[in-house]
Amino acid sequence: MPEDAIPRHTQVFAAAGTAFLRVATTAGGMGILLFRILARFFPPRIDGGEIWKNLYKMGVKSLPIVAITALFTGAIMVVQAATIVKRYSAEGLLGWGAGFGTLREIAPLLTALMISGRVGANNTAELGTMVVTEQLDALRVLAIDPIGFLIVPRFVSIVATLFMMTLFADALALFGAAHTGKALLNVDPVTFYNGFTAGLLDFGDVANGLTKSVVFGVVIGLASCHFGLATTGGAPGVGRAVNAQVVASAAGIFVLDYVTSFILG
Amino acid sequence: MATTSPGQASHPADVDPVPEAHAPPGPVAALGGSAIDLFLGGKELLSVFIRTLYYSVRGKREKGAFTTQMYEIGNKSVFFLSITMGFIGMILVYQSGLQAKRVVPDYTMLGATYLELLVRDFAASIGALMLATRVGAGIAAEIGSMVVTEQVDALRMCAADPIDFLIVPRFKASVIMTTVLIVWAGTVAYLTGAATAYVAFDVAPQTFFNMALIDVGDVSVGLAKCLAYGAAIPVVSGYCGLSTFGGSEGVGWATTRAVVNTSLTIIILNFFISTAGFLIFPG
Amino acid sequence: MSVETGIRFQNIVKAFGPKRVLNGVSFDVHKGEVFFIIGASGVGKSVLIKHLVGLLYPDEGEIWLDGEEISKFDEVRMGPVRKKCAMVFQHSTLFDSMTCAENVALPLRKHKGLTLKESVAEAKRRLHVVHMQEFGDRYPPELGDGMRKRVAIARALTLEPEYVLFDEPTTSLDPVSARRVDKLIRELSDTLGVTSIVVSHDLSSIFTIADRIVMLYKGHVRLLGTRDDFKHTPDGVVNQFINGRAQGPMDL
Repeated sequence: MPEDAIPRHTQVFAAAGTAFLRVATTAGGMGILLFRILARFFPPRIDGGEIWKNLYKMGVKSLPIVAITALFTGAIMVVQAATIVKRYSAEGLLGWGAGFGTLREIAPLLTALMISGRVGANNTAELGTMVVTEQLDALRVLAIDPIGFLIVPRFVSIVATLFMMTLFADALALFGAAHTGKALLNVDPVTFYNGFTAGLLDFGDVANGLTKSVVFGVVIGLASCHFGLATTGGAPGVGRAVNAQVVASAAGIFVLDYVTSFILG
Repeated sequence: MATTSPGQASHPADVDPVPEAHAPPGPVAALGGSAIDLFLGGKELLSVFIRTLYYSVRGKREKGAFTTQMYEIGNKSVFFLSITMGFIGMILVYQSGLQAKRVVPDYTMLGATYLELLVRDFAASIGALMLATRVGAGIAAEIGSMVVTEQVDALRMCAADPIDFLIVPRFKASVIMTTVLIVWAGTVAYLTGAATAYVAFDVAPQTFFNMALIDVGDVSVGLAKCLAYGAAIPVVSGYCGLSTFGGSEGVGWATTRAVVNTSLTIIILNFFISTAGFLIFPG
Repeated sequence: MSVETGIRFQNIVKAFGPKRVLNGVSFDVHKGEVFFIIGASGVGKSVLIKHLVGLLYPDEGEIWLDGEEISKFDEVRMGPVRKKCAMVFQHSTLFDSMTCAENVALPLRKHKGLTLKESVAEAKRRLHVVHMQEFGDRYPPELGDGMRKRVAIARALTLEPEYVLFDEPTTSLDPVSARRVDKLIRELSDTLGVTSIVVSHDLSSIFTIADRIVMLYKGHVRLLGTRDDFKHTPDGVVNQFINGRAQGPMDL
């Protein structure tokens, strides 16, 4: 780009336009990919064995990091609520206060960010490496559809993994929160658990968080497959693709979090 | 902190055709193995951190590298951080509004409580998680590709410590820029939060902009977090970059590890600083 | 022996950006022969054969395969063509996440309706043909280039193709492995009647196993003929190439 040729004051507009075009290209590419993925479901042309393989690789192997994240997150939520609880000496409400934010927002959000970093980035790196080493062309030459064989199983596994991990993280975060409440504020875990079964929280709050996790899963799945497939430029290109994937996933997660929060109310 | 990934084995040529038999490790061995990995990783990470601190004080000053990194880490993250923090501000206020609605539909303290939480935790922690993704992945990818193309070895041959040369400028730049960016991110989140409160719950901005609950404790905890995260991001992701192995594919894995490990470090640091803050400044 | 045309390239033009790599290339490949495409690096040899399996599409020109014009086929209609024309990539391009046997088993499982177990058992039989039976359970990154190449050939042959495209099969192999691959290519043609199209600049392969040779130069066909035609050509450019001389009329 001959940037010197453009007058200085219009460079800002040029940059903004370029950035906008880039975002639009990415969003469009992800939309087309989603369409192509969905087309493989009618009629189903998906490799079932690959789904199981990926579920193991993505799901089981992410358990430790999700567990650590969830335990600490629950603990942090209680520490944050602690000041307020002390101020109003409302120990009975601690479970509800920490549980509400955890179930509806923080657990799905942080789990999604961690899965985006662990699973999404791995997926992009793997697909990107396959693209730059022509393994995708090798599949096509064997008359095997790369979308049905590679992309759909990964996409399905990412969505399923994030859903299950969020469920798991919900439980562990509340566990961590209950025990931090005991250590820090001397609130008995029973009181804590009563706090969120007393009627202020219901299944709707859990479902709210889980719905979000599905939306986030779709975002991560699409972003990681899109950037993996769009990799160019050899090995450094794979690094760039991974970087672009985590950034796009994070931005997408936050924007859609907002949208789903409002829609679900 | 070392998460191992498959496919990193180097490629021996036709020399070793005998398949070696290794039994899959039992659960105890696996647990012990990962504990040892964690310990060794932690030890190396600590050594990188200490050397970074040492060279920050004693090392040669590279003005150009420092300002470049300030630009790379700081300016280039502003857009991304503003977008994500803007949305998180709206979400947080919306969710706490819903929460408040169920107990006492009284929104007068919404802004004050939100500001307190923002200053004490959310601005720093969520902002830093975002920076971990963008900045951390960038640092790991850059240093990682220097490792696999043997540029780091070339540095060593010139008797330059890669930590002094590569991590220290990023470390200094990150400590400063993370703090600056988080103050900015908090402002953005507060403003979008105020807008949401006005639109969704009819809270007037005058009521929302309430600093009554902010005290010394909140500000010091917030600042401590900024500095800790700012220091942790380049050290952890730089460490992941420097420990890249396995040729060109390794860069991708290093980037992945950097994002995950930096995020985990932030969450764990957050827990300790928050707890310490609660114990030092109770209520 | 009657000569039957299997593949016909007609006036193929392909440009990447401003660079016209192929500028009107035409020739026929006969059934059952070992056909070599030679030329200097970057002259578009690999580009040309990638057109045959729909990895690239020509800007102009036609490609005929067994009486069908295939250059405008979409991904779905390319399927049968790809089953008929197998390809062995330059760097073997095995799937790193699968064992060698699974690599060979994949097309069997996908196209012959075998279960995973059956297909792996069949794959091990196929590996036997290329003398790789004891490496079925190893992963490709653990093996050397020559071994990977043999597995790649086994994978390409699983669907009993009529045509096999080899993209620089002997480049980056040691001389012994290279001659073994040559022998394998020749046998395919002699015993199974497979048509092989080999992209190469390995002079010893060219003059041991080729039936006919085409040389590409500057986007055009420079010479098409048998080994003897090439040995006795008066063309200075061809002469320089097949003798591997640094000095001569050829410019790059």
